[in-house]
Amino acid sequence: MKWILFFGALIGSGICDRETFSGHQVFRINVRNGDEISKLNRLVNSDNLKLDLWKSPSAVGHPADVLVPSFSLREVKSFLEDHGLEYLVAVEDLQTVLDNEDQQMQHNVRQELSSNCFNYGAYHTLEAIHNEMDNIVKCYPHLASTVEIGHSFENRSMYVLKFSTGEGRQRPAIWLNAGIHAREWISPATAIWTAKKIACDYGKDQAITSILKKMDIFLLPVANPDGYVYTHTHNRLWRKTRSINPGTTCIGTDPNRNWDSKFGEVGASDNPCSEIYHGAHPNSEMEVKSVADFIKNHGKFKCFIDLHNYGQLVMYPYGYTTEKAQDADELDMVAKNTAKALASLSGTQFRVGPIATGIYRASGNTVDWAYDNGIKYAFTFELRDTGHYAFTLPADQIIPTAQETWLGLKTIMEYVQDNI
Amino acid sequence: MALRRQPLSAPRPGDTRPAAQRLAVPLLLLLGLQGAAAAGGPEDSGWLQDAEPSSRLLSQAARAALHFFNFRAASPSALQMLASVLDGRAWVNQKKEYKFDLVFTTEFYSAEEGEKRLGKCSAQVFFRNEKPRPSVNVTCTQLVKKERRQKEDYQLYKLMKQLKSPLNAVSIPDSHGYIAPSLRPIWDLAFLGSSYVMWQKTTPFLHYYMSQISSVKQWKTNDDAIDFDYTVLLHEFSTQEIIPCRIRLVWHPSKPLKVTYHCQERQTPEEASGAEDGSAVAPTGLSNF
Repeated sequence: MKWILFFGALIGSGICDRETFSGHQVFRINVRNGDEISKLNRLVNSDNLKLDLWKSPSAVGHPADVLVPSFSLREVKSFLEDHGLEYLVAVEDLQTVLDNEDQQMQHNVRQELSSNCFNYGAYHTLEAIHNEMDNIVKCYPHLASTVEIGHSFENRSMYVLKFSTGEGRQRPAIWLNAGIHAREWISPATAIWTAKKIACDYGKDQAITSILKKMDIFLLPVANPDGYVYTHTHNRLWRKTRSINPGTTCIGTDPNRNWDSKFGEVGASDNPCSEIYHGAHPNSEMEVKSVADFIKNHGKFKCFIDLHNYGQLVMYPYGYTTEKAQDADELDMVAKNTAKALASLSGTQFRVGPIATGIYRASGNTVDWAYDNGIKYAFTFELRDTGHYAFTLPADQIIPTAQETWLGLKTIMEYVQDNI
Repeated sequence: MALRRQPLSAPRPGDTRPAAQRLAVPLLLLLGLQGAAAAGGPEDSGWLQDAEPSSRLLSQAARAALHFFNFRAASPSALQMLASVLDGRAWVNQKKEYKFDLVFTTEFYSAEEGEKRLGKCSAQVFFRNEKPRPSVNVTCTQLVKKERRQKEDYQLYKLMKQLKSPLNAVSIPDSHGYIAPSLRPIWDLAFLGSSYVMWQKTTPFLHYYMSQISSVKQWKTNDDAIDFDYTVLLHEFSTQEIIPCRIRLVWHPSKPLKVTYHCQERQTPEEASGAEDGSAVAPTGLSNF
């Protein structure tokens, strides 16, 4: 809209001076010869009419645009008709146009500000992440919605983004879990970038569009909100939840040992002061219980992916034992393809294998639980790096990490789509 | 050259050892018997070769070798980190001794973008009775010429000497993973000192990474050495514990490094538990704390 250039100044003055342009019109006047140009000039220069020449006739045959205030309309029309000057009313009521334009512009400004405020290449507070989730829903209301599946120990929201193209039906679904360990900041950072990516690419990228036609995607960027806040306010290297353990000053349970799958067995601790304390009983942590309950009640999840750092690994069940899971061969193949796709972007090498041999034995973890509850395609990622920066991965690696991880996630999701 | 060290605390009730340690006995049973003779040794200590050593296990051993190498080289401008293991073999015997034979590639620790240079090392790593502080025999190709290394070390030394003391710097890197360029030499020197500590503490089941420097002070010395007192947070992978270690190091370019340290181990539910001390090249005039 070319008018924006004209309106720009007007809006500014409009807002400041509260001047109204109600009833003002813009005339587009044709000038066919030099004589008509001088007549137009006479008109525009008359003091009492208060006309504003917006666009002067650059040459014969090119029209002039003139702003005519409401009190001058009758006189101008008479003049033009008396002198045989051709004209049309280009803008019937300037204020209406300004009002609409203003709204649109304010909306754009707000949009831009809100999306520019959220820098995907930086780490953010819990509040900022939750706000950005809301923004994504605002921008893509036909695809995205939020679901509050429960609350944390300190009563923070367990806030999930749902991407769905099918209204009111319980479709097969994918769960993307992030931020279960508070200090692994690259995990929520990757998750929120991924959320934006899914929203942006739907309808443009064939792969994700096809996946979403068939399946829903649920994304939980911060599965341990209390812990995450604590890493911002008190201790950057906190891992667990912030629940109180009776009889000791040691706080928190390892939420990735608290799931109801071989709970309390190897690779977890019954010492509440331990970083891998499994908790008093399975699902003792509200953060864990809300996800477990939601997934079980939904009943149609086919894929569960958990994002962690660090180590650069793509892993599948089991963590509690080195014995092979029934589908280990298939999952290994998918994991290998995932690592390959991930490496194709920047050459980042990820190793592949079951959790127990990939990192260590660990019972009561998300992926074992998902697998034992009928979700065959259960994977966990340990994102960058391999120990150089570890948990404090520099922010300039967020977007490269998220971009490469996305290729890996798509590989899994495409495979799931083709095999359910 | 006395090494003062408390024995590792025995497992307390409820104190779960890292899961990997419980693998020790079943591991012996699972190992493919590859004949009793181990490569390179006529003495037969009943070595059983692990037919399929996991890449994780080999990487851990390689890192231990590198910690030792970096400490011995005592060159903060030429620190190396593990790139990948090219070849590795592992043995264990009934005395619970672990032996590794490794070939691996390394990269510069402080490599700038585009300055990718791979070094190559071969190492033998030996753990006695599952204990920490493995014996390491390691040789690496020279990534940087000696002259350049000395020059850069000296530049780092001058930078450190110019820093005002006390430094009052906290949290390197910061929460967002950022290290200010002016603080980079501190990080490199701290990593050098931490390499010693991490080598000292590594066992077949416990391996460490340096997470963050949580406080740093620089002390004046009468000679020209850098006397550097700082607390580093080590991350132990199998237990996921963060272990604060107070480290004091005395460094002068081209001289052997002097390190003393005191690590705070994890609390039990009842009280804060024991600590582990160590020192290298016992310095005269410096006392342990």
